[in-house]
Amino acid sequence: MRIERLRAWICAGVCLALSGGAVMAQVPYRRIAGAESDPSTWVTYSGNYQAQRFSLLDQINRQNVAQLKPTWMYQMRHPGIVETSPIVVDGVMYLTEPPSTATALDVRTGRPLWTYTPKIPSDVIVIGSPPVNRGVAVLDDLVFFGTVNCHLIALDAKTGIVRWDTMVDDNKKGYYVTSAPLAIDGRIIIGISGAETGIRGFLDAYDPKTGKRLWRTYTVPAPGEPGRETWGGDSWQHGGGSTWVTGSYDPDLHLLYWGTGNPGPDWNDDVRPGDNLYTCSLLAIDPANGKIKWHFQFTPHDVHDWDATEIPVLFDAEVQGRRRKVVSMANRNGFYYLLDRATGEFLTAVPYVKQNWTDGLDAKGRPFARRDADPKAEGTLVYPAITGSANWYSPSYSPKTRLFYHAARQMAGIYFKGDAEYKDGTAYTGGGGDTKNGDEASGAILAWEASSGKLRWEFKLLTPPWAGLLSTAGGLVFGGTEEGNFFALDAENGKPLWQLQLGGRVAANPVSFAIDGKQQVAIAAGSSLFVFGLP
Amino acid sequence: MSIERFAGALLLLLGVAAHPLPAQNAAEVDKGRQLFLGMCSRCHGAEGGGGEGPSLNRSLTRATDDQALRTIIQEGIPDRGMPRTRRLSNGELSAMAAYVRSLGRHAEVAGQGNAEKGKAVYQRLGCASCHVIAGQGGILGPELTNIGVRRAPGYLRQAILDPAAVLPRGGTDVPGRGFNEYLPVRIVTREGREVNGLRVNEDSFSIQVRDAGSQLYSFQKADLQKLDKEFGKSLMPDYKTRAADADLDDLVAYLASLGGAK
Ligand code: HEC
Ligand code: HEC
Repeated sequence: MRIERLRAWICAGVCLALSGGAVMAQVPYRRIAGAESDPSTWVTYSGNYQAQRFSLLDQINRQNVAQLKPTWMYQMRHPGIVETSPIVVDGVMYLTEPPSTATALDVRTGRPLWTYTPKIPSDVIVIGSPPVNRGVAVLDDLVFFGTVNCHLIALDAKTGIVRWDTMVDDNKKGYYVTSAPLAIDGRIIIGISGAETGIRGFLDAYDPKTGKRLWRTYTVPAPGEPGRETWGGDSWQHGGGSTWVTGSYDPDLHLLYWGTGNPGPDWNDDVRPGDNLYTCSLLAIDPANGKIKWHFQFTPHDVHDWDATEIPVLFDAEVQGRRRKVVSMANRNGFYYLLDRATGEFLTAVPYVKQNWTDGLDAKGRPFARRDADPKAEGTLVYPAITGSANWYSPSYSPKTRLFYHAARQMAGIYFKGDAEYKDGTAYTGGGGDTKNGDEASGAILAWEASSGKLRWEFKLLTPPWAGLLSTAGGLVFGGTEEGNFFALDAENGKPLWQLQLGGRVAANPVSFAIDGKQQVAIAAGSSLFVFGLP
Repeated sequence: MSIERFAGALLLLLGVAAHPLPAQNAAEVDKGRQLFLGMCSRCHGAEGGGGEGPSLNRSLTRATDDQALRTIIQEGIPDRGMPRTRRLSNGELSAMAAYVRSLGRHAEVAGQGNAEKGKAVYQRLGCASCHVIAGQGGILGPELTNIGVRRAPGYLRQAILDPAAVLPRGGTDVPGRGFNEYLPVRIVTREGREVNGLRVNEDSFSIQVRDAGSQLYSFQKADLQKLDKEFGKSLMPDYKTRAADADLDDLVAYLASLGGAK
């Protein structure tokens, strides 16, 4: 073929693509909002905007789950803890590898299509968690992910080529990103980590096309803003309140729901008298402008590091005799909460693990926190432990069983109060903690009635879990253990139906999708990603 | 001697020479003592006299210089039974290091025992049937080759007189952090077969067990009628009545000498 003819040929293809004919934007917003209409995909972090981590696929079910076999595995090219939750759409799986690599795999074979690793400075500051990444977001033909040096990056979904790279905030001050962004109509929402270095937390929205910031909402109010009176002195400046777990979204109410983390310093509260709004809270935010529509603070004046950075799960249910649009959270402080998601009204809360930090809650959900459970120099024994009875990993809600499934951590911690000196980019924690681990701790998969918190069944685990759950229309709940088991339980009664030892800690969330019409379940364990299907 | 080693030795000497403490240091040491009481004394004893962890008032074998000491305090020695307790500020870290350095450096109080004689007692009492020292011995109990570096004499004495009172926990990667090692378990399978032994490892669905005859077993928990974990029990005989007091002193002196501790 002569050069000219080749050129003409290429031009024809590209021009066709550009004119929009055959090649459309991959994942327009309406495809994410209507995730239910195509359960062969997994288009957003939690499966749908309601963050239910529920799959409508039912090919794998109670009868045949015991026959699950590996379809393929992918071994991470980068060492570290793998907390990624993959996205699957149009034959491609998008995932992240620790600490800040985005990779696209052919979903049929597991073969890489591209991988992108930004340059991370060797003196990157990551204090408060291991340098992990929980996944990407997709919108139109772009893939978005955050990095440990606190950038938000947009890649071309087909090639991994960088479209834009925006610094979210200064890593030298301790800001970094571990969570997956949330893509909604015309906005990429990204939360940050760093409350252990005394940052002032915020949630950001970016223009997907340009990477330009559209709004920033601080989680700690400045002078003149409502809530400032809940911080003594200048403590708000280093007040923490990270936003490090992907939130949920109600397109009808047009509200984002996002949890916030601990106040700073974590365990030494001397400098921050007051409730310390909006730390350890759930924020309902208008995505158009970032305005806080309402807030609910689970743990006012927290001294135990009980971030409310758990997944806010949305569903509609009859609660206490009235039909409600609900937002629920299995909180790190040991309680399961139900709020009205239109107004933020507290409906009910139920303890789901042993706790000894509060004498219950008042009618508005405010705890009667026990001061004798405060951290002390010589240590204070408190349930739950510092890592909480829940954490970043996802629970699951099944609209079929109307049960809320949660992997509960049952463990006591010893809380120490120590010195807190603020210095840019260094730990500002004021103490720390130890845990009563090993045989003294345990875990459980709990299933409770989502509308009341009433326990339906329990499946015991040897150790406190660090892996999320997936429920399916096949009547199954998938989850993982610290010891490396990936398992399936009967969603109705918790009976174990299948398990496989994957040889490495499971510290990730399961997802489900289909390859050529055949249902698959995927989970990361150790340094690998596993995909399972029926033979 | 390499420069680093030399510097380490020098620091050690300075540490010893620093007694009595200069006044500006006293407050720091006192602060370190408070921290130590909260975070370390349960293993290393109130004044660093040792227990589950080694005594810290001898010449230290790992924390040979200040940097090594700070690293140990900050990170622990997680695969050897010393977990990382919590993050410390720089000031706290310095205070803790200063306190550990302030502990008197004296020859180990291993009692009046004679290590040479203790070695013979060890052989006579048949300890080697269950323990390995330098490659020799049985495998039911833990290896004791470096036991003098890991445990203080008081702990060793108790381990012999009342084994169940000082059960090792979480000092190895298997079964893992915080788990009781050498945990006796009693198992009855669905078919009624009984197996008694020590837990080797466990996950949420299965358990691995070794019996007194070194036979290895693996069970799915779903297949068991009974799985009793006997916390607080030991398979080691107690030597309260089996060893004379003098023998015991010698035996402790022998164990304390293992692993190069002085
Ligand atoms: C759970 C028990 C435990 C706790 C708590 C603990 N340690 Fe240790 N520590 C040990 C053990 C066991 C060793 C010996 C490890 C080895 O070398 O095999 C050790 C070793 C050390 C050493 C090295 C000794 C040498 O010879 O060089 C130092 C120093 C030390 N610990 C200091 C501390 C300090 C300071 C704390 C409190 C912050 C602390 N430890 C808390 C169990 C503990
Ligand atoms: C029947 C086997 C058996 C015999 C005989 C035996 N031990 Fe043990 N020993 C064990 C086991 C098992 C453990 C593990 C902890 C426990 O269960 O007490 C242990 C633990 C120990 C420990 C504590 C180790 C640690 O790190 O905590 C010491 C020290 C020890 N033995 C010394 C001895 C000495 C000295 C003798 C002889 C006088 C002896 N043992 C005889 C089985 C035995």
